[in-house]
Amino acid sequence: MQYIKKSIEVNTMLENTLKKLATADPKKMITYPLVVFLVALLILVVHFPTLGTDLKGGVVVTIHGGNANAKDVESLLKAENFEVTVREIKSITGDTRVEIRASTDVDVQRIIELIKSKYPNVVISQTQFGPSLSRTAQEQSLKAVSLAFLGMAVVVFLFFRVPLPSLTVIFSALSDMTIALALMSIFGLELTQATIAALLMLIGYSVDSNILLTTKLLRRKEDTVEEAYFSAVSTGFTMSTTTLGALASLWVVSQAEVIDMIAAVLIFGLLADFMNTWIFNAGVLRWYIQRGERK
Amino acid sequence: MNLKKLLLNGRVLLLILVIVGSILTIIAQGITYGLDISGGVEITVQLEKPVDQSTMEEVRISLENRLNTLGVKDITLEPWGDQIIKVRVANVTEEEANSIIDTINRQGVFYAEFNGVIFATGADIKRVDQVGYEPRERAWIVPFSISKEAAEKFAQLALGKVNYPVDIFLDPPVNSTLIVSREIYALMNSNEFQFVPDAKPLPQRLKEAFNIDVIPYANQSAEEIAKLAQGKEKVILIRVDGELESSLKNLGIKVEKREPRAGEAADEFIRRVLGLYGPYRLQEGLTTGEPHTELAISIGGSKEDIMAMRQAQVVSVVLRSGSLPVKVFVEGVNYIPPTLGEQFRKQVVQAGIVALLVVGLVVYLHYRKARIAIPVILTSLSEVIAILGVAALIRWNLDLPSIAGIIAAIGTGVDQQIVITDELLGGRKKEKITKRSGVLKRMGRAFFVIWASATTTIVAMSFLFKFFVGGLRGFAFTTILGVLIGILITRPAYAEIAKVLLSEKR
Repeated sequence: MQYIKKSIEVNTMLENTLKKLATADPKKMITYPLVVFLVALLILVVHFPTLGTDLKGGVVVTIHGGNANAKDVESLLKAENFEVTVREIKSITGDTRVEIRASTDVDVQRIIELIKSKYPNVVISQTQFGPSLSRTAQEQSLKAVSLAFLGMAVVVFLFFRVPLPSLTVIFSALSDMTIALALMSIFGLELTQATIAALLMLIGYSVDSNILLTTKLLRRKEDTVEEAYFSAVSTGFTMSTTTLGALASLWVVSQAEVIDMIAAVLIFGLLADFMNTWIFNAGVLRWYIQRGERK
Repeated sequence: MNLKKLLLNGRVLLLILVIVGSILTIIAQGITYGLDISGGVEITVQLEKPVDQSTMEEVRISLENRLNTLGVKDITLEPWGDQIIKVRVANVTEEEANSIIDTINRQGVFYAEFNGVIFATGADIKRVDQVGYEPRERAWIVPFSISKEAAEKFAQLALGKVNYPVDIFLDPPVNSTLIVSREIYALMNSNEFQFVPDAKPLPQRLKEAFNIDVIPYANQSAEEIAKLAQGKEKVILIRVDGELESSLKNLGIKVEKREPRAGEAADEFIRRVLGLYGPYRLQEGLTTGEPHTELAISIGGSKEDIMAMRQAQVVSVVLRSGSLPVKVFVEGVNYIPPTLGEQFRKQVVQAGIVALLVVGLVVYLHYRKARIAIPVILTSLSEVIAILGVAALIRWNLDLPSIAGIIAAIGTGVDQQIVITDELLGGRKKEKITKRSGVLKRMGRAFFVIWASATTTIVAMSFLFKFFVGGLRGFAFTTILGVLIGILITRPAYAEIAKVLLSEKR
């Protein structure tokens, strides 16, 4: 019986914090997320995330383990007139890796030789992307993202068949991606094939929560819109926290860059999605329902 | 207890069958890991222009033949689209990876050699015709024509030398010293490569044409071999074991080692190491001293003899490869050292387990009921098993993006299970809907949400799958697979289980 009591406590706590939202003016609920979206857009205009090597072309040599540090490696390579940028990445578990970047015309094997002679015990991985390969990747990414978005929009329309709620769901997905991109730009994450995949994945997550809310409010079985909203938001809250928890543990435990990047972008997007679904979309829907009732 | 009824429920039964099947498949087939996990090199080879399928196949065979002379195991070449070939090699060292890259970047070097003299190179091959079957000779025929100069040179060399061996080479190890085991040495000097006693033995032909020294290994010291190899580009150890390799390396000599592959006959092994195709027996008609520009290589065998036909096709590609229709070059490289890959795999497994536990914990914190948290984890776990089972079944290369896709699919899966749980709990809390029809209605609403979001995810991801050449196809593939398994198998089963577990409480 103890358990049931606790869960009620949690629920009332949640309800209290959300009570404000449920009674808030729909216009405000719509305005704030729109402002955030515009700010994100502005950030992207001023500073779009830098393209990763796989989209821009170039060479990355990564030194794992050992006692290499960015400064020494840089001076070692600069002494041989290599034009490189070197940075050090520290993971949460304390391991460091040193990443060397250069353009494709550089002699990669010579760089590796130099590093091996100075640090015999390190493990070295390398990636090279030639100009035409990265161009293809860029074109493909653009195609994949735009078609995926269009496909999503069509599916959403087919499922709801009501213009305004459908448009809101689609806009939420767009806003999620835009805000995630802006956060990537702020935190210095690069736009790579991996992060693009994560952005695409966001479409799925975003539609998930938005469809949940829209379904609950439009086909509600509860008496009032507020009740339906509560029921949806508590489900949504559980969904987001479990996903965030899983992603965070992924980000902490794994050191593989691909996984880290995907996890980080999804976390950004889910945070944005929380706002876009439970504030923006909820605001639009409430306004839409009120208007419908008034008629 | 409803347990028996639950187990016999069609949806739950299906889930159990799928899990058992998946586990059996994983045990039987094993999981193939991508190179970013198992370690190795993936090289993207670009053709200078788009080509049709048959040209692509020609380029692929030619590259494969050349790379096979390097003595690296398990090279796979896979054409992607009309302009890219992906070359994947598992478990290679840095040096091996580099020699593969060098070989691809170098155009293939073709030589035709007779009795120790090179009489034609790639530029002399003017035309190679379709491989055909000649019933009178009972052989597969590769007709080709050579330049006038090469034909004249060959006519002089071949005068009166009936049945002598004619060799063709693709990328032979020019200017090197081969240290070979006694058996290999004996075989190289045998009739297999000589045909007639008067002809020069293979090692002599190699020496005169390519400055390749073939030396039988008789426990010479590293210093002695180093002396023999003076002025040579490299030493290649062929079936020679022991510490010779490292001691020669210590002397600052470039050493490579070649071992036969599993099931490879000794003569095939020799041919592969030398980049030798043939030798072919010289027919009488060509030994008159008269120059012939139209020649053919015939490979004996019946019309149904697939092996002979393949061999003929390989010869045709080799003849052409000195002057491939398109140039190829290395456009991308991704090298992951095997040790690093191993580390990644451990982390991914750890991360997966931690993520599942975190999911369970968060779900428990929300509902405060182990009877919800445990089924949620178990359902997710069974989803992972089912995805891995399908991946094992079709031998999908499980790389890091694929694993990220599995995680993404599990994420949406958990979300959907929560939607189902809340719909069930929601009806109960208000005590309004207790009738079965009420439960069905709520389930209907939950499944509307689930189907809508699954459809969007599948649509979005299939574009990624279709339009990406890169590794992200793996991400799209496992996501789609996971979502499909979710909506078709695990989600309906979870709904049944949850219905029983949640109603039991009351």
